[in-house]
Amino acid sequence: MTNLKLDYQQTSSAKVSIFKVLGNSPVPWLFPLAMILVFVFLYPIVDMIRLSFTNANLISAEYDYTLSSYLTLFTSSGFSRMILITLFFVFFSVLFQMLLGCLIALLIDQGVKRGLTGTVMVRTSVLSAWAIPGVIIGIIWSMLYNESQIGVINYMLHSFFGWSLPFLSDPNVALISVTLANIWRGTAFSMIMIYAGLQTLPRDIIEAAMIDGANAIKRLVYVVIPTLAPLLLINLIIITVDTFNTFDMVMALTGGGPGQSTEVIALSIYNRIFREFELGQGAATAVVLLAINTLMTIIYFHYMEKKQVVA
Amino acid sequence: MRRWKMLLALMLGLVVIAGCGNNGTVEETDEVEENEKATGEVIEIEWLAHPAYSLQSPGPERVEYLQNQIDAFEAEHGNVKIKPDVLSSNISEAMARLMEQAAQGRAPAIAQIDSYILPRFYDYLQPLDPLFEQAGLDIEDFFPFAQDIMRGPDGQIYGIQFTTDTRVLYYRTDVVDSPPATWDELFALSEQLKADGYEAFLFPGGRGEGTIVTSVLPFFWAQGGSLVDDQDQPAFGTGENREYMLNVLTFLHDMVQKGYSPQRLANYGSEGDLNSEVASGNVAMFIGGNWQVNQLAEILSEDDMAKWAVAPLPQREAGQQATTAGGWAWGIFTDDPVKQELAFDFLMRTFVGDEGMASWCTLGGYLPTRHSVYEHEAYEGNEFTDIFREHLAEFARMRPAATVYPEISTQLQIAVSDIVSGNKSPEEALEEAWNAVAK
Repeated sequence: MTNLKLDYQQTSSAKVSIFKVLGNSPVPWLFPLAMILVFVFLYPIVDMIRLSFTNANLISAEYDYTLSSYLTLFTSSGFSRMILITLFFVFFSVLFQMLLGCLIALLIDQGVKRGLTGTVMVRTSVLSAWAIPGVIIGIIWSMLYNESQIGVINYMLHSFFGWSLPFLSDPNVALISVTLANIWRGTAFSMIMIYAGLQTLPRDIIEAAMIDGANAIKRLVYVVIPTLAPLLLINLIIITVDTFNTFDMVMALTGGGPGQSTEVIALSIYNRIFREFELGQGAATAVVLLAINTLMTIIYFHYMEKKQVVA
Repeated sequence: MRRWKMLLALMLGLVVIAGCGNNGTVEETDEVEENEKATGEVIEIEWLAHPAYSLQSPGPERVEYLQNQIDAFEAEHGNVKIKPDVLSSNISEAMARLMEQAAQGRAPAIAQIDSYILPRFYDYLQPLDPLFEQAGLDIEDFFPFAQDIMRGPDGQIYGIQFTTDTRVLYYRTDVVDSPPATWDELFALSEQLKADGYEAFLFPGGRGEGTIVTSVLPFFWAQGGSLVDDQDQPAFGTGENREYMLNVLTFLHDMVQKGYSPQRLANYGSEGDLNSEVASGNVAMFIGGNWQVNQLAEILSEDDMAKWAVAPLPQREAGQQATTAGGWAWGIFTDDPVKQELAFDFLMRTFVGDEGMASWCTLGGYLPTRHSVYEHEAYEGNEFTDIFREHLAEFARMRPAATVYPEISTQLQIAVSDIVSGNKSPEEALEEAWNAVAK
C-alpha cells in the first residue's frame, strides 16, 4: 500500500515537473508561430523541391518521380543563355542601383546640410519609383520605349538626331532597355538605405579627416565608404536577391522576348508553370533560383556573424 | 495555477484548430445543405467568371446587366443565391488554377472556361444533354467548331460556348483598291504601299498568344497543316507539317526583311498592340480580331474609321482558306442535380438563351456562337458582322486542346519573335522550336 502511494506520488510529481518545465519554457508560446512558419514557408519549399523531381503538370493529377525535369533543364540550349541573361541583368542592375543610389544619397545629404530647399521633394520623387508595382513600371517603360511614332524617347531622338532605337525589338538592345528600367526602379531603395547610413556617420570622424586635410573625395573613399561598408554589403545582398527574383516588370515590358533575349530565371519559372503548365520543370528552375538566393543569404548571415564576433 | 490555466487554454486552442480539419465537418456540411433544401433555406450557386464577364467588370453597362439578371433569377427562385467569384485576368494562369480545383473536386458549380481548353475538362464536367433538351436548345444551332468542342468523345454535351471571335484582314479602302487574296498579291501590293510611305502590313509577332492564333495558325491550317497528330503529340516539325510551318515562318520573315512590316512587331504579342499603330494613320493593312472594330472606333475619328474594311486573310495559294476562332464557354461542375438545373437556368437567361446571348454579345461586342442569335432583335452587330459570321461558319477552326499545345504555342511565339527581330532564320527558329517541344 505504502509502495503504491509512493509510486503514485512519484508519477504525479513527474507529471507536475513536465508541466512545470513546459510552463517555464518558451516552447509552447513559440509553437503556434513555428507551425505557421512550417506551413507557410517550409512546406511550400519542401513541396517545390519534391515537385522538381517529378514530371508533374497542371493539367493532369498524375505524375511520376524522375530526374527528367533537371536533365531537360540542364541539357536545353536555352539554359546557359538564360543564366547569362540573368547574370547580365542582375550585375548591371545592382552595380548601377548602388552607384546611383549612393550618388543621390550623397547629393541629398549635402543638400540637407547646406539647407537647400527641395531635398524632401527629390527624396520623395526618387522613392516613388520604388513604391510603384513592377507591372505598372513595365507598362510605363513600354510606353517610353515604344518604337512607333508615339514612343516618347524615340520621338525625342528622332526630333533631335534624326534616328531612333529599336529599344524592345532588337534582342541585344532589349536586354539593356529592361536592365535600365530595373535600375530606375531599384535605385530608390539603395538611395534610402545609404541616406539612412549617412545620417548615422559620426561627425567627429569626418571633422578629424577635414582637419587632417582630406578633401571631399578622400573623405568619401577613406572615411565614408569604409564606415558604411557593413550597410553597403547588406544593401548589396538585398538588391541582388531582389533582382534575381524580378519577373513582373520584365513580363509587362517584353514578356521575355524578342525570342528569349530577356527571359530571366524568375520569368522562365512563371512561363514554364503558368503558360506551359509544366510544374515539374518550373519547380526545377525554381530550385536553381532558390540555390542562388540561398547562397546570397548564407553570405549575408556569414557576414552578420563575423560582425557580431568582432563587436 | 495561472501557468496551468494558460497551458490548458493553449491545448484547447490546438484541439480546436485540429478539429477544423476533421472530415466529419464536410459530412456535416452536406447534411446541412440537404436540410436547407428540404426546409427551403438558401442554396448557393458558385459562379466563377473572368473579370470582364463578372460584377467586377470595368464596364458599368455590363455590371448593370449582370446584376439585373442575378436579381431577377434570385427573385424567381426565392431560396437560391448566386455566389459570384472571379478568375485571374491572366487566362493561362486562371485555367491552370481551375484545372487544379477541378482535379481536387473543389471546382465551383459554374465556371467560365477558355473554349479551346474545354476538352481538357470533360472528365470533371457534367453532361448537359437533358438540360439542353428541357430548355429546347438545339446544339445544331451552334457553329460547327463550337459543336466540336462542346461534345465530348462519348457524344454528350459538356459545355456551352457562348461567345466567339475570329481573325480577318483589315485594309484601308483609300489606299488598297482590292484586298490581296494570296501572299504573292500581298507582296506586290506591299511593295507599292512601301514606296508610298505606308507601313504595308502589320501582324502580332512577339511573345503572346495573339502571335500564334492570328499570325501563324490561319496560314498553317489553310495549307493543310496540323500542330499535333492523332495521339495529340507534336507534329508541326515533321513531314509535310514542317514544310507548311516553314512556309509560314518564311512568309513572316520576308515581310519584315523586305521592309513591308516593321521589326518592332517582335514586341507585339497581341492583336490589340497594333491599335496604336493603326491610330497613327500610316498603316495600310493588318491582320487582327473582330473585336478590334469597336476598339478602333473609339480611337479613330468617324471619317478615319470609315476608310477601313475587312476581308479574308491572304493565303499562300488561291482557294486556301482558314481562320482562328476563340471565345469562352461555360461548364457546370456540380454533381447536385438541383444545382445543375439552377445553374443551367441562370446561364440560359444571362448568356446562352436567345435574348441572353443577343444582349450579352451586344453589350460586350462579342460574336454569338448560335446562328439564330444573329437574327434576334436584341443583337446589334456592326457593319462587318456578316463577314465575321461567314468566316465563323465556313473557315473557322479552334486551337487543339492537346496538353502539349501551351508548350507548342510558347516555342512558336519564341520562333516568330526571333525571326521578326532578325535574330534567327526561319529554318533555325523552327528547328529550335521543334527540338524544344519534341525533347
